[in-house]
Amino acid sequence: MADTARARARAPSPHRSLPEEITIWEILVRLPPKSLLRCRAVCPAWRRATSTRDFLLAHHARQPTLPLLDDLSSIGYGGHSLDTIPIPFPLEHQAATGRLQSVVRFDDAYLRLFASCDGLLLLSMANGYLVLCNPATRQFARLPLRSGFIPLGMYPHSPTGTGEYRLLLYLSSSKLVPDAQAGYYILSVGSGQLPRHIGCRDVERLINTFGSVIFHGSLHWHRHNVIMVFDTTTELFREMSAPVAPGPANLFEMDGMLAASIFTDPTTSIDIWIAQDYANEVWAFKYRVNLPVAELTAQFGKINKRCCVVFASWDGHVLVLAKFGDWLLQVDMDGKLVASFHHRGVGPTQNRLKQSLVQHTFFPTLEGYVVNASPFI
Amino acid sequence: MATREAGKKMIMLKSPDGMEFEVEEAVAMESQTIRKMIEDDCADTAILIPNINSKILSRVIEYCNKHVPTTGATGAAASDTVAPAALAEDLKIWDAEFIKVNRATRFDLIQAASYLNIKGLLDLTSQTTIDTISDNSLEEIRSFLSTKNDYLPEEEQTIRRENQWAFQ
Repeated sequence: MADTARARARAPSPHRSLPEEITIWEILVRLPPKSLLRCRAVCPAWRRATSTRDFLLAHHARQPTLPLLDDLSSIGYGGHSLDTIPIPFPLEHQAATGRLQSVVRFDDAYLRLFASCDGLLLLSMANGYLVLCNPATRQFARLPLRSGFIPLGMYPHSPTGTGEYRLLLYLSSSKLVPDAQAGYYILSVGSGQLPRHIGCRDVERLINTFGSVIFHGSLHWHRHNVIMVFDTTTELFREMSAPVAPGPANLFEMDGMLAASIFTDPTTSIDIWIAQDYANEVWAFKYRVNLPVAELTAQFGKINKRCCVVFASWDGHVLVLAKFGDWLLQVDMDGKLVASFHHRGVGPTQNRLKQSLVQHTFFPTLEGYVVNASPFI
Repeated sequence: MATREAGKKMIMLKSPDGMEFEVEEAVAMESQTIRKMIEDDCADTAILIPNINSKILSRVIEYCNKHVPTTGATGAAASDTVAPAALAEDLKIWDAEFIKVNRATRFDLIQAASYLNIKGLLDLTSQTTIDTISDNSLEEIRSFLSTKNDYLPEEEQTIRRENQWAFQ
């Protein structure tokens, strides 16, 4: 065996390539979704290998978590777009002026992005319908919901791994749906069933609190110095301690932990806290990101305090996206400007997208199901 | 097991072409594969690394030496006076130099990183290939990876139509 290995090591073939196993499971699995779809036309073997559910789940797991930006600039021109910042980070030492990348563009305006989960986006369109869309597979479909239901979150129904997705909805006592009871509802996507009423506790707390974070099989919202938690298995709400610090906070996931970014007052610094012991609700201060606000204001314009979000980036670091004047600025954890994007109508949302080409059986069963057709442009 | 300096456990790695490399255990354990062997107590004497020749193995060790955390092999990189951000910057520049190799060597490094399960090295070595696949035509991808196109022309057209937007 040693002789064979020695011979192989000493005589490299001039046309040496990678073994197919490595090409598929180390290279193709890391491609952006669009490049992977193109690669299916390279050869039948690649197409077969990259179409299995196992491969697509592994591919999804390796996708970066992208911050989603709401781009209002195209609305006047008959469209609406969700963008993200380009990856990977610019390697140059000087902060680069970059161009945003479009994640998905519609020929009709959407009103609001409610949730994002496993590569799926939950949106409400201008015509009032709630829709699900996957920007990577370009699948789009309507959800069978009467108006009046407000989505609070979307999650995979675990641990069965059946590929079932559920929505947590809120219905206020309104004239829109006179025969229905106010409170919280669960909708199983594609089940053909009506939303199921689960109670009406603390109804006012979560309305207008967007961007729920899925962590440990629960949805989390930060509101008024308390974290609201919805356990997706027991379908019960509970409260969890938030970091003891003044200022508005946003939740996100970092290094497999629940994290909170808190905008201290005045808005020149952002504190990052980590739920060190999630079960016992113990938070620990991790570090402070100091924004060079005066310097950035002089260069780019006034800071818009409401347009500032913190993300855990794909390389395990924290990044801040903040709006100064007509500029979206990307700042690293040391407060250093990494990239700037001159884009008037764009602002960060609380949602992130981890793209996925995994096929869902529910999509074709939904009303108005299309692939790569209007409203996509 | 060999011991060079007090407190630093050494490990012997052997390539199939007969070369031996003495490395600190912490450096060798940058490889999850070797880490598992050591933790399972399968590493009493020398560890034979199959399929990775001495030229590639020495480069892999060079990478692990540079990337091992804490006060490891490279004294300068582990200095307390250097800020973490500056260290990361230094590593990035070092990585960019490290990866200036020809295609065959890069493919060998990808295979070695995959077998030895060294995530950082795999990320670094596979990125150029990923970029090449993302930016080039199907014909160029086939030639780059020596992949044979056994589609019939009409089959290829069907696949292209299925994912039309990916070709725009």
